[in-house]
Amino acid sequence: MLVKNFTGIFSLSKREIMRFLSVSTQTLFPPLISTVLFICIFGLALGKKIDLSAEGITYLAFIIPGLMTMQSITSSYENASSSLFISRWHNHVQEILLSPLSYFEMVLGILVGSLTRSILVISGVFAVSMFFNPMTIAHPFIMIYFALIIPIIFSCAGMLAALWAEDFNMLTMWNTYLIMPCTFLGGVFHPVKLIPEQLQFFTKINPMYYLVNGMRYSVIGVADTSIFYSIAVSLSLAIIMFSLTVYLFRIGYKLRS
Amino acid sequence: MRNSDIAISINNLIKFYGKFQALNNVSFNVKRGDFFGFLGPNGAGETTTINVLTGLCNYQSGDIKIFGYDVTKEYRKTRALIGLCAQEFNFDPFLSIQRMLVYQAGYFGIQKKEAEKRADELLDRFQLSEKRNTKYRALSGGMKKRLLLCRALIHDPEILILDEPTAGCDLELRFMIWDYLTKLNKEGKTIFLTTHYMEEAEKLCKNLGIINKGEIVHIGNKQEVLKDKSLQDVFLEATNAG
Repeated sequence: MLVKNFTGIFSLSKREIMRFLSVSTQTLFPPLISTVLFICIFGLALGKKIDLSAEGITYLAFIIPGLMTMQSITSSYENASSSLFISRWHNHVQEILLSPLSYFEMVLGILVGSLTRSILVISGVFAVSMFFNPMTIAHPFIMIYFALIIPIIFSCAGMLAALWAEDFNMLTMWNTYLIMPCTFLGGVFHPVKLIPEQLQFFTKINPMYYLVNGMRYSVIGVADTSIFYSIAVSLSLAIIMFSLTVYLFRIGYKLRS
Repeated sequence: MRNSDIAISINNLIKFYGKFQALNNVSFNVKRGDFFGFLGPNGAGETTTINVLTGLCNYQSGDIKIFGYDVTKEYRKTRALIGLCAQEFNFDPFLSIQRMLVYQAGYFGIQKKEAEKRADELLDRFQLSEKRNTKYRALSGGMKKRLLLCRALIHDPEILILDEPTAGCDLELRFMIWDYLTKLNKEGKTIFLTTHYMEEAEKLCKNLGIINKGEIVHIGNKQEVLKDKSLQDVFLEATNAG
């Protein structure tokens, strides 16, 4: 059985959750404020110039699932990366390394904390969006799937970054130079058809494109790509990232001397 | 726990840091209920040995067992049997000391109610009750040392590993720790102690091992090792520092 120490996982998850709740002004509220700003500027102001009536949706409705995906990615990545990196920095990561938690359970405990933060954030983003654009969720079960799978992928990415990084500069590098550009270019704010045809190839090899469109399909029922591709890509990424993270914990990469 | 009379068994342990060989074929046993002193000059390999036992350090080869369980293959079992009082103050800076102990107990599978009871008892035993809602940074050096002991003992381990537990402590605290360790040992806990205070090892330990440059140079019961000499003289001879 992969999980034996349920009390241990519960304790670790609780510590992770209490950690971000204790600084909610930095962890929960900023995504809501930035969502309102994005909706006001892109959705309400510039969005009037973009016509998506052929798809039967408004531009504002189009960007809301993208914003949910973006905030889910950011919050889960930041939570896992900062928590694990700080515990490496202060060396209190030894508290879990000395415990009888398996490496799988250690990763799971940290992941649950990030997952919880991400779910709270996207619930807040959705609630805020409802003020501007009331709507019903087109495919609730698919939305639950993406609300879970996206933070699993990026919590693991955050843990990988936290293991690799030697300082805070290295820690933020992945987010600044890889995750955020890929997220923006993955179609958070634009349908793929608005990009010149010769550049669409780069969008289609960007995994974020499938995550954003998966979430979009689940919320508004419209997407640029097939939901099956989105599920396949997200599931594959989650399995790869989770397995890699557990493997690095098991070999003690930058955790054991 | 397996019914083994050997609490710690190390056979042919080899550990390199890059090209530097920190441990060279280290082999020794520590019996159940022993108070074992593991001595050596700085950088001799005591902390590396502790890190191998506790799983904080990888090693190149060797057969390391805790009560018959392999520290690599059966790490969940071995870690549950060990409590480590580390040298450095590596506590979670965001938690109160009581919360930190309760979470630590939780990682060992101890339910919240029992964890809170144990945390309160230990804080009381080490005179830290008044600071239970304080974060560790607000504690004095001596209090932090006591907190390290609380954390090591929160899951009631069979083996207590102490890496220089009294370094930097005043005499009063040192005596208090000595008394408590003696009591724990009498109750049946196996204690593995590293220290640079020879009088501490001489007073507390039943068996002694001396390591120098990654190799065991002396091991046996206290009388055998000392042979009418002081431990300081034996240590200095064994480490070629005399």
